[in-house]
Amino acid sequence: MTLVLRFQIRLSYGRATFAPRTSSEQPRSIPQFRGLRVILADDDALNRTVTKKLLEKLGCEVTAVSSGFECLSALSSAENSVRLVVLDIQMPEMDGFEVATRIRKVRSRSWPLIIAVTASAEDNVWERCLQMGMNGMIRKPVLLQGMADELQRVLQRVGEGL
Amino acid sequence: MDVLSQLQRQLADFLASLYREGFVDDQFTQLQKLQDESSPDFVMEVVSLFFEDCEKLVNNMAKVLEQQVVDFKQVDSHVHQLKGSSSSIGAARIRNVCIAFKTFCEAQNREGCLRCLQQVNHEHAQLKANLQSLFTLERQIVAAGGSVPAMQ
Repeated sequence: MTLVLRFQIRLSYGRATFAPRTSSEQPRSIPQFRGLRVILADDDALNRTVTKKLLEKLGCEVTAVSSGFECLSALSSAENSVRLVVLDIQMPEMDGFEVATRIRKVRSRSWPLIIAVTASAEDNVWERCLQMGMNGMIRKPVLLQGMADELQRVLQRVGEGL
Repeated sequence: MDVLSQLQRQLADFLASLYREGFVDDQFTQLQKLQDESSPDFVMEVVSLFFEDCEKLVNNMAKVLEQQVVDFKQVDSHVHQLKGSSSSIGAARIRNVCIAFKTFCEAQNREGCLRCLQQVNHEHAQLKANLQSLFTLERQIVAAGGSVPAMQ
């Protein structure tokens, strides 16, 4: 409970402080996604195709894999060049939570960033995502604007050292 | 009105009717927005993937439902998948049938499930026919020298 509250306060704080700092900083509307290296993991071919295209539309360079295992191995062979992992939570064999846990065992909390994709409408999914070391969450069906907003939010938080 | 304008008007009207009758929703618009010069057949490819998926799932569900003892959990997991993919591409009617279908699975109601399966088949066939008409119109427009912009 405390964790969720704290996160929510930080969220609004983050948004509020960004607005005034316009003179020397980048304008808020320019997304910093061009060339962003992403690994997308989703076992469903259709969802994978759509989400990959969506991320590419936003400027990302995407490697799409179909399982948690493939995700971990793609990440280790890419060394440090992958900035973001977009992870479907509901995957057979190894679900998104487990993938995130394994990633965080050997990597810092902000590199790579991890965004979960879930079909679940349950409130405590976000808490679980945070506990597993994820940085963001997006609900299915994935929309272009929704993904852009969440990507921006997650990158901004890292930029502010939160 | 020249041929191209006529075709474009036809396409706009047809698309509007698909939305109006609930065959497709905003998520379909999303798909169209993702189509561009680098992937001019994106919508068609995704839609084909969906129909293949749908057929496979329906066949699996039919098999499970005709068993002496029905494994409703299995049916439910197939319905869940179909609900997800129909949702992703904006196949609104199919998604809605899936919602009802899930309720019957939870209630372990075989008759209800079979009815829903029939409905899914029906909607699948209708959507397929409709989208095929849509793609044909688009092809005709391109052949007549026009282009197909992302629909709003």
